[in-house]
Amino acid sequence: MPSRQGLVEIFSTFLQFNADRPGRWIADPRLQRSMQRCLEQSPQTESASFWALYWHKVWQTQEVPSSQLAAAHITAYLQEVCYWVAQRISTNFASQQSVADLFQTAMAKVHRILQGFNPQYSANLKGYAEFVFSNLVKESLRQSQEVDICTDWGLLHKLGKKRLVEALQNAGLSEKEVAAYVLAWKCFQELYTPDATRKTRKLSKPDPATWQAIAKLYNAQRLSQLAAPSPEMPPETLEKWLLTSAKAVRNLLYPKPIVPAADQEMGDLIDNLPNVQQESLLAEAIRQEEATLRQTQQQQLTELLTATIASLEPEAQTLLQAYYGAEQTQQQIAKQLGIQQFHVSRRLTRLRKTLLTTLGQWAKATLHVSPTSDVIEGMSAVLEEWLATHYRHSTLP
Amino acid sequence: MTFDVPSPTWLDTHLYLEIPEIREPEAAFSTPGSRWRATLNQTALAAILPWLQSEYAPTAKVWRSGALSSLWDAVNGTAITFDGLRLVLLPTTAIEADELRVPQEWVDLPSWVADYYLAVQVNIDEGWLRIDGYTTHQRLKAQARYDADDRTYNLDATHLIQDINVLWVTRELCPEETLRADVATLPALPLAQAENLLKRLGNPAVTFPRLEVPFQLWGALLEHGGWRQRLYELRQGLPEQWSAQQWFQSGISHLAQQLGWSQMTLQPIAVTGMRSAPSLESGWRKSQSQTLVRGLTIAGADYELLVLPLEGEVSAWRFELRPVAAEQMIPAGWTLRLLTEDLQAFPNNEDTATETISELYVEVAVEPGEGLVWEVNPLPEDYDREVLRF
Repeated sequence: MPSRQGLVEIFSTFLQFNADRPGRWIADPRLQRSMQRCLEQSPQTESASFWALYWHKVWQTQEVPSSQLAAAHITAYLQEVCYWVAQRISTNFASQQSVADLFQTAMAKVHRILQGFNPQYSANLKGYAEFVFSNLVKESLRQSQEVDICTDWGLLHKLGKKRLVEALQNAGLSEKEVAAYVLAWKCFQELYTPDATRKTRKLSKPDPATWQAIAKLYNAQRLSQLAAPSPEMPPETLEKWLLTSAKAVRNLLYPKPIVPAADQEMGDLIDNLPNVQQESLLAEAIRQEEATLRQTQQQQLTELLTATIASLEPEAQTLLQAYYGAEQTQQQIAKQLGIQQFHVSRRLTRLRKTLLTTLGQWAKATLHVSPTSDVIEGMSAVLEEWLATHYRHSTLP
Repeated sequence: MTFDVPSPTWLDTHLYLEIPEIREPEAAFSTPGSRWRATLNQTALAAILPWLQSEYAPTAKVWRSGALSSLWDAVNGTAITFDGLRLVLLPTTAIEADELRVPQEWVDLPSWVADYYLAVQVNIDEGWLRIDGYTTHQRLKAQARYDADDRTYNLDATHLIQDINVLWVTRELCPEETLRADVATLPALPLAQAENLLKRLGNPAVTFPRLEVPFQLWGALLEHGGWRQRLYELRQGLPEQWSAQQWFQSGISHLAQQLGWSQMTLQPIAVTGMRSAPSLESGWRKSQSQTLVRGLTIAGADYELLVLPLEGEVSAWRFELRPVAAEQMIPAGWTLRLLTEDLQAFPNNEDTATETISELYVEVAVEPGEGLVWEVNPLPEDYDREVLRF
């Protein structure tokens, strides 16, 4: 993969894949113009991470279309980190999904990074993104393994309504059809289930009597539950619908490439943006006081967490190192430490609680914020990012 | 459980708990779906309750522990109480963890409302469950989307608090945080209407009873423990389980035994009553008489509720509350109260302790087939309404 040169390119180009290999960088002219303009306004040369924080601030504080523009710049900025995470995990876990698929899946959820990142306690957007992408890719991998292993009938018990609706819409079904298919699925779930002996994954096709019952239930329910009038359906049709649903859900796991986030209608708006707010934000970002204050806080946070970890039992320290540093699976860690696999999860949770409590107390005492669930939730994300960065020292090339 | 290939399952930061064993529930359920729901809830409970007790809340208990079958037959979710708070487990087998679906009952029924709602992903095949996150009632009311088709409040995963530790740390550092939003009381359900509903929804051919009638009616029916129990029994095709006469004649039904009812022989005791009985001045217990008894825990101590027919009266009964331990007394201010089946008061239906006392009792004449609901104030631990039939 050719590396990107210059700030304009870093904040305005998107990675294109040739089959499963990274190809070239595609530029978005609107983002190019926007970035060029910003650089002209900036009195001094700033780093890429400065601009990342700047765009995050714009995203956080401005309305559409400025916020959309900012999100598009950050999406461009995070391309490499997402690629390397996808590539590493795909290799480590012998994934069935291609690197390109994993990349697209993770990139589709870039809003999680925008929402979760807290610049007050961290200056490292890339580090945070690496942590979130890594979780997203692993989660996607886990789901696709589970889906691959399931029969269609088992799969229909391993999904929620939201996913089903999304899959059916993605497959091009009309609103009316989606409602009918969802009702058929509800009737199936109510009348045909796994049990203690019948594994979900291996669930076989219902027998004819069960199909009759499902059809009877559907035909009774359609009158009250479907908004649009719908004809009576025989069991065969319902079977076909359910198989179509399962297939649509499988297809959903292989996402389409995302069009660069700055879409058409946005283009004109961006070019004509009244730039006053952005300029004042920029001026503010360049001023040093805020940055200095943040730096002090981040330093305090690091000192606090380092000291707290140092005071933990050696075994706890080993556990954190193995989990965050070596990115070992919990089962590998369990083997290494001679404890049961489930104990790893419980112990990690307990350790994180200790660290989170320390952070919460610090926020309450030093920053004078009321430690509500929102604040503590934010602290939890900061903690995860900090642990990942602290132990890994970044594995990015 | 071991894996041949490294499984990404174990890499994320969610809490995983081992499922002890998959047991089919012993009770009957009206559809395969409700039976499976019961299996999942029972499994989630068996994994989560011991973890909760050992790590955070030693006093954690199951809410309505005697009535779980009637709950699970109607709706998904299991509540746990600890430190005066309520937490609802919402197990699902869906793997995508993209939203939390909370049945409206847990959000809008005043006596069901919880402080916390836990998203629990159960993987029966691999023998684990994962806590995907949690939210509070307050957040649910503010952020969730209501799905009228399913009568659920659905919270997008991005609004879930993913880290369960946030719950414990916030409890510790910010105990004053508001957890519940206000909910309105449902209109009372008159007896005739309740009977109609029971007849209609008690038919097991009605597969989705909770969606069959307007929520206010369904909710009021479900909130009344005695009616919810009756609904469950009707849907399983069971005959009357709560007839006091039948209990005397042929033994206490299995369902009532599970809720703590038993039968015992009273030892003859001296008449204590200087106080005048609130109602019938008639017969006193005969020596060696049989009584129905139900254990109760009130304000941390053990009491028992006795129900026995009055001598010489065809259809007059005595309800009596007394402590189990001889040295224990009933504090001043406590009330034993009887209500009609649809929770209406009637003359002389209660007895209140004006001073520390050894027993409270109410004597009442009943019509054949009439149902009565008893209650004690302060409420016994895990109190759920019961309809005793006479």
